[in-house]
Amino acid sequence: MKTAAEAPTRIRSRWSAYVTTTRYIVLFALVCLFLIPVYVLLVTAMKDPAQVSPSRMWQLPDSFSLDTFGAVWPVLEPGFRNSVLMAVPASIISSLLGAANGFVLAKWRFPGADIVFPLILFGMFIPYQAILIPMRELLTDWNLVGGLSGLILVHIIYGLPITTLIFRSYFVTISDELIDSAQVDGAGMIRTLAFVALPIALPAFAVSMIWQFTSAWNDFLFGLVLTSTNSWPVTVALNNIAGGQVVPFHEAMASALLASIPTLLVYVLMGRFFMRGLMAGALKG
Amino acid sequence: MSEKTSENQAAPATTLTAAISTREPVGIRLENVSKRFRGGVEAIKDVTLAVAPGEFVVLVGPSGCGKSTLLRVLAGLEEVSSGRIHIGDKDVTTQLPQQRDVAMVFQSYALYPRMSVRGNIGFGLRMRGIGKDERRRRVEEVAQVLGLEHLLDRRPAALSGGQRQRVAMGRAIVREPQVFLMDEPLSNLDAKLRVSMRAQLTLLHKRLGVTTVYVTHDQTEAMTLGQRVAVLRDGVLQQVDTPQQLFHHPVNLFVAAFIGSPSMNFVHATVSNGAASFAGVRIPVRPDSPLARGDRKVIVGVRPTSLSLASGNGQPELAVTPAIVEDLGDERFVIFDVDAPRVDTEATRAAVEAQAADDALLVPLDRATFTARLPAGTPVTVGEPITVALDPDRLHFFDPATGASLEEATSLTRGASSR
Amino acid sequence: MHRIRKWGPAALLVAPSLLAIGVFVYGFLGWNLRVSLSDWRGLRANYDYAGLDNYRRLAEDSRFTDGVQNVVVFTLVFVAGTLVAGFLLALLLERGIRGEAFFRTVFLFPMAISFIATAIIWRWLLSNATGAQETGLNKLFDSVGLGFLANDWFKSDSNWAVASVAIAAGWALVGYIMALFLAGMRGVSDDLREAARVDGASEAKAFWFVVRPMLLPVVMSAIVILAHISLKTFDLIYAMDAKSRKIETPALYMWFTTFEGLNFSIGAAIATLLVVGIALVIVPYIWYSVRSERRS
Repeated sequence: MKTAAEAPTRIRSRWSAYVTTTRYIVLFALVCLFLIPVYVLLVTAMKDPAQVSPSRMWQLPDSFSLDTFGAVWPVLEPGFRNSVLMAVPASIISSLLGAANGFVLAKWRFPGADIVFPLILFGMFIPYQAILIPMRELLTDWNLVGGLSGLILVHIIYGLPITTLIFRSYFVTISDELIDSAQVDGAGMIRTLAFVALPIALPAFAVSMIWQFTSAWNDFLFGLVLTSTNSWPVTVALNNIAGGQVVPFHEAMASALLASIPTLLVYVLMGRFFMRGLMAGALKG
Repeated sequence: MSEKTSENQAAPATTLTAAISTREPVGIRLENVSKRFRGGVEAIKDVTLAVAPGEFVVLVGPSGCGKSTLLRVLAGLEEVSSGRIHIGDKDVTTQLPQQRDVAMVFQSYALYPRMSVRGNIGFGLRMRGIGKDERRRRVEEVAQVLGLEHLLDRRPAALSGGQRQRVAMGRAIVREPQVFLMDEPLSNLDAKLRVSMRAQLTLLHKRLGVTTVYVTHDQTEAMTLGQRVAVLRDGVLQQVDTPQQLFHHPVNLFVAAFIGSPSMNFVHATVSNGAASFAGVRIPVRPDSPLARGDRKVIVGVRPTSLSLASGNGQPELAVTPAIVEDLGDERFVIFDVDAPRVDTEATRAAVEAQAADDALLVPLDRATFTARLPAGTPVTVGEPITVALDPDRLHFFDPATGASLEEATSLTRGASSR
Repeated sequence: MHRIRKWGPAALLVAPSLLAIGVFVYGFLGWNLRVSLSDWRGLRANYDYAGLDNYRRLAEDSRFTDGVQNVVVFTLVFVAGTLVAGFLLALLLERGIRGEAFFRTVFLFPMAISFIATAIIWRWLLSNATGAQETGLNKLFDSVGLGFLANDWFKSDSNWAVASVAIAAGWALVGYIMALFLAGMRGVSDDLREAARVDGASEAKAFWFVVRPMLLPVVMSAIVILAHISLKTFDLIYAMDAKSRKIETPALYMWFTTFEGLNFSIGAAIATLLVVGIALVIVPYIWYSVRSERRS
């Protein structure tokens, strides 16, 4: 028997104890269901290649082996490297530009800013199919098709709406008086941005960088249209390795896992910022 | 605890070193300044105001009266829609904030969160290209004056409210600007600290002698700090005067109702045959007053301090029944109904920032309510009738239609010209 | 003068971004529209004006109309399923559950994975192979005695084949919707709920009468986000089975007809229709968000 002193502060009916227990049971069941693909992925990728067959998909491996990873890595590695070379600069530059835009739109609202902002936002939602033809035409003219630089450029540009939105939402929350104060202290717009606004916007940087890195890493369409075999990003490489039915499915699984590691790492290590980016993407979080 | 004490005896009390030089103070002139925001809201309407070199002027008014906008216009943070602004001999109307030689203390203090106290105080100097060594010297001097030396390397988040307030002051002082602008700098402090900082501000102004424009919504703060006080309502300057003049000679109902605590009592009355009457009292008006001739309706204003317990000295008397007695220790506020119509004009409502509906909800009243401010020992009991006397020489008369004072016309700028 | 000095640097700072977005978003949309009104087939660009020919042709093109039907089915299943599942997950997590962070992390992690990787896993899980080759969910159902659940999934001949792609898409996005709902539910102040409790409502009633009405904006956001994703979805379907007409949507048809069929004008026409479809959903949404922000 519990004494009164041990009872929880919140008053609960007996009924709500059942409800809570049921909740946990349901949640755990859902977690299991949700992780089925992960189970298959891990179990298959870590089986001894000799033991792998689709019909034994659900069975645990008899022996643990990383041979499959060793087999697919050399094929995936160039794409992996390309994606790093592409996603890192794309996310840094897009975030820096987004910071400047967000600052201006939140704190230095020039006449017309109210019209410009929704126009920028719309760029976040367009179906990229609708810009593929002109993009390929223009970038071919500029000699930017087939290598990584064209891909970096489009990731920077099409990342601008979301990075601008992230920084704008962040700067809107900082006090106007801080900006006013910097001006009275003698700082113009650029110095207010550099000395006062940017130093306090580090969380927004994290959010923006993570979002941009993840979407550039996971992009497929731009990579498909703008790159050639030796500049394929990892997603295109992955699809080509694992795409056909003829590919042994343990190799497909291992490649998918390898290709997802960077974004999963980011997610696990910086989940909080990842969440905030998602919320920003919904406009009103 | 030790933090607390050092806060209270902050340091403007220590002697200012000569290094914080007192520059020749300059005046400020606002000529027909108006500010209309995008969207059409007119925050300031044709304000003309001259601040003398070295003067401490307080802008006061209820929230939304335009006082903060006026200050921001002075700082250059808002562009005027029309009119000119001069600081000293210079027309600064079109200058950006960073080009004007003004410093500003904000209500939230606006300390830069990622900079140390040293960085905060020195920021203005850094932006103006002052070298590292001189910056360091001046920051440390100001820090010493304000008792902030031991906090120089802390971040603002690690400071108490009072310390933050002093850092904000230090940031303004170190620049040695021509003008200090202060936007409710004390409103985030707790009541006790606010009173002590008020005194320190006055001292600081005396020592530095820098022309200061100070914004507050608190009329007590305005009256205690300002050499002159400018009362604003809906963007229109109502009266600019010394605190004494404002209190004793308000030019209209709004100023009369806004200045003074507790507020002035108002009642509708009629004037005929040289005397004003309401609720059965007749109060003779001065024979030289314009009211002495002819009949008319007026609003009579009575300061709570102009009421006393009747002593039979010939002053007009009023028999009343106290409804509420508030004991403040050294004085008692006695609140009672007067058998005369209640004054409910827009001006009096604006002065207490009440909406038409707000006021009457809890206790519907159609009769005028008076507050008398009586000495502590006065024998008064709720419900037991008493007789109060009114001092006939200290009554105020206002036009019920315009709200203007019916005393001899009081010039808006009297204070300025009489200086 | 004052204005130029005040706004000048700001305008200069955002000018490159605005120019880039102006060209790469609006310029390209216009350019694409122009291509859709041309007669451009083959590798060489051809801007001869062809009026609405391409659109007319699309209306008669069964591959396109089937694609539209597919995307409608996909959208309905995906939006409704993800919305309901996301809401239920949020409801389960809503009132301080121990280990909430763990559950949230699990349900949200697929958002970090590319659609290509998601498709590769699900392609195997939803395999319709039979006999000795049987694998994936069908195999699992068989081995636990639920064999009647086994079916052809996205290889099915039914018009609902594309719905099984929606399972994978829902798996990827349900955590996001859950997070949106959670944020919305948490946004309702405790005072409000406590007031309802003190007024005599049960927890469930307090939720129903106080919290639920305030979730409407979240539902709107979620629907808009999901719907526009489903119209755009390319990589998931492409990697599941690029060749199958049964799950092909206009977003894929556009790609094939343009970059494999070299029929640029038709591709541009499909893309333009996609833009129109998405704009119908998105423009009111942006307008509403910006306006309600300005109000507050």
